[in-house]
Amino acid sequence: MTQKPETGFMAGLRREFRRMGRSRAYLFGMILVPVLVAVTFMSLLSEGLPRRVPTMVVDLDHTPLSRSVIRNLNSNEMIDLVGEAESYDAALAQVRRGDSFGFFVIPADFQKDALSLRTPTLSYYTNMTYFVPGTLAFKGFKTIAVSVSGGVVKTALQDLGVGEQTMAGMLQPVSIDNYELGNPWMNYSIYLTPSFAIGAFALMILLMTVYSITMEIKDGTSPEWLETCGGHMPTALMSKMLPHTAIYIAVGSMILWLFFGVGHFPCHGSLLWLWIGMVLFVVANQGLALFIVCLLPNPRLSFSICALFGILTFSFAGFSFPVESMYGAVGVFSWLAPTRYLFLIYINNALNGYSVWFVRWWFVALMAFPVVAALGTQRLKKALEHPVYVP
Amino acid sequence: MGLFRKTCHWLSMTGRVFRNEWKLVLGDMGVLLFFVALPLVYPIAYTLVYNPEVVDNIRIAVVDNSRTKESRELVRTVDATPALEVYDYASDLGEAKKMMAETKVYGVLEIPADYTRKIGRGEQAHVPFYADMSLLLRFRSEMAAMTDVQMQMSSKLMPVSIDETPLSALAAGRELSLPVKSESHFLGDTEQGFASFVIPGIIILILQQSMILGICLIGGTSRERRRRDPQGLDPKAVNEAGPWATIWGKTLCYTVFYLPLVVYITRIVPEMFSLPHYGSPVQYLLFLLPLLLSSAFLGLTLVYFMKERESAFIIIVFTSVIFLFLSGLTWPHYATNRFWLWISDLIPATWGVDGFISINNNGATLAEESTNYIALWILTAVYMFTAAWVYRKIAVSSRLKALRKD
Repeated sequence: MTQKPETGFMAGLRREFRRMGRSRAYLFGMILVPVLVAVTFMSLLSEGLPRRVPTMVVDLDHTPLSRSVIRNLNSNEMIDLVGEAESYDAALAQVRRGDSFGFFVIPADFQKDALSLRTPTLSYYTNMTYFVPGTLAFKGFKTIAVSVSGGVVKTALQDLGVGEQTMAGMLQPVSIDNYELGNPWMNYSIYLTPSFAIGAFALMILLMTVYSITMEIKDGTSPEWLETCGGHMPTALMSKMLPHTAIYIAVGSMILWLFFGVGHFPCHGSLLWLWIGMVLFVVANQGLALFIVCLLPNPRLSFSICALFGILTFSFAGFSFPVESMYGAVGVFSWLAPTRYLFLIYINNALNGYSVWFVRWWFVALMAFPVVAALGTQRLKKALEHPVYVP
Repeated sequence: MGLFRKTCHWLSMTGRVFRNEWKLVLGDMGVLLFFVALPLVYPIAYTLVYNPEVVDNIRIAVVDNSRTKESRELVRTVDATPALEVYDYASDLGEAKKMMAETKVYGVLEIPADYTRKIGRGEQAHVPFYADMSLLLRFRSEMAAMTDVQMQMSSKLMPVSIDETPLSALAAGRELSLPVKSESHFLGDTEQGFASFVIPGIIILILQQSMILGICLIGGTSRERRRRDPQGLDPKAVNEAGPWATIWGKTLCYTVFYLPLVVYITRIVPEMFSLPHYGSPVQYLLFLLPLLLSSAFLGLTLVYFMKERESAFIIIVFTSVIFLFLSGLTWPHYATNRFWLWISDLIPATWGVDGFISINNNGATLAEESTNYIALWILTAVYMFTAAWVYRKIAVSSRLKALRKD
């Protein structure tokens, strides 16, 4: 008489480890990709702020005053004058070729008109099809245009014997001084890198969770899986998903270590709470994927939905375009993504240093995902008992 | 066999692969999802997310320590900018900070107690503005609005103070304004809208990625069939065709399949949402031909890594995010290090995005985009060889499996 094989949680756990060991997809999708994406973004955006935008100048005046404008342009921290073009058309051609992101035009008779108060116009063009360099070049050009204007008045006033102090109040009566809270370097990387890294992490958790469950259906091994766990659905799911949870938490901790330990990203809040948020985020994504599989226990559909949702999350989670500016009907989707909540915890607590009290609801929201998923498991059980594979 | 007969044979094999591939594509719902649904739906989904274009009415708080007519006028000027909206007054910075923590406001303007006195004395009044830095776009709008407010206040107050100096005599009879005016022009995306910036680039990436995903799905499924087959052959493939006929037959099928989608994505989508599209269709359609070819060959090369059908999801999907940043659209190339530039050069979409937005948004001609165009043809050639190598390898491994069986 053969011994009856052991069933239950431990048997399920052993079975899951054997399955993971057989396929390299798990190693790749669960560990390699999330870490690789985090490292990629850290390295790619290591510049922080892409200053020194390549730009050009068109000088149609060729006078001491226009020279001084060019010197000003040269010393501006935002832009890098890569050359002079002899005409508007030549400068535009450089922009189209992608060699420069904008140009500054000093009109003919600039000096003459300026000194005789005939109000000449300085024009500057920035290529906004490249948003970040376009914006930075615009900022640099605008600063120069304003300071040139002030400089001319200043010279005139100086000649009339007006003092330095009075002059500042006269030229710019109100000066608004900007303080960039939490990020005085205007470093884009410290909020882009973590948000895109967690977005990619979420995408991989969704896909790999779907993979681990639907492959049982595809290979027809799901009845045997249920049997190993004594036909008890919670045991079956726990024994399959908990090992993954442990791996993801290790990967997530490593990513946080990369950011704050290796990359020295500033953390004005609490790393411990961020880590707890990350743990809840892992479980929330597993829950979301499980929920999708319960609704559509078919590899093709559940994979497609997770890929679609995971990729669109990068947009509607509001990393670059704020959710409150989106159409209401689009903005609501952001609340379905666990990534959104961890992102809010990160920017509000870690980046801006607001107390955890202000982000408490986002922790609760993350906890809701696995609860919702648990409701659909009976439907999945039927699919597991009678696996039908539709490619 | 003469050269002519050989060519004829090759062409007929390519034709058979072409026809067979159509059947495979049309018979696989998963592939159709990638080849049709994805290019149809994604551009619309993305545009809907970004279509509000600009970030406006950002809520800010004001701490007014001056409480005068002048300080209220400053607040009114700030409130009147399209970008900013004064949400509430706070009694002090502590209260304002709490409003920021509750994300009720994303900036605080603190008007100092001596604001009016300084202006009255003709001194410069400094007004601190504390900006939330958690989103680039919000911060950018705030900065631009504050600069405008500063200039508006200057032009309002300056004539008054200049009138009190001898300079007013110089400008007698003329309206006094700044001696030099300046005007800014935005090229390509005149409204500086976010959708207008990101969509024309992203649609090119969608073309490449959806095609690669579909090809990898077909490749992974074929691998599964070969694994099950005793001869190691895919019963649904044209196994008599050589590697070159196979990759050309497949690539032509995908390219022809994509032509209507390209027209949809480059013509109809920008039209629907009035996104910038100034380029000539002939120029950019010609430009996109090598993008399609190189993407198809790259996809066929990546089939090498597809162990099963689902591998396409695990290996390909996440690369879209990295490719977006490598394309130079969101992160400029001049701030990217050598290593990543080198990697980005290997991705068709990098050249495709750059060239397409130049033609589409800035009205460049194909001749002006020759660097991008030539690069795409070079990638086509390179990936054609790698794809042929992969399909030769597949044929060899099938034959080996069959031999082992014998």
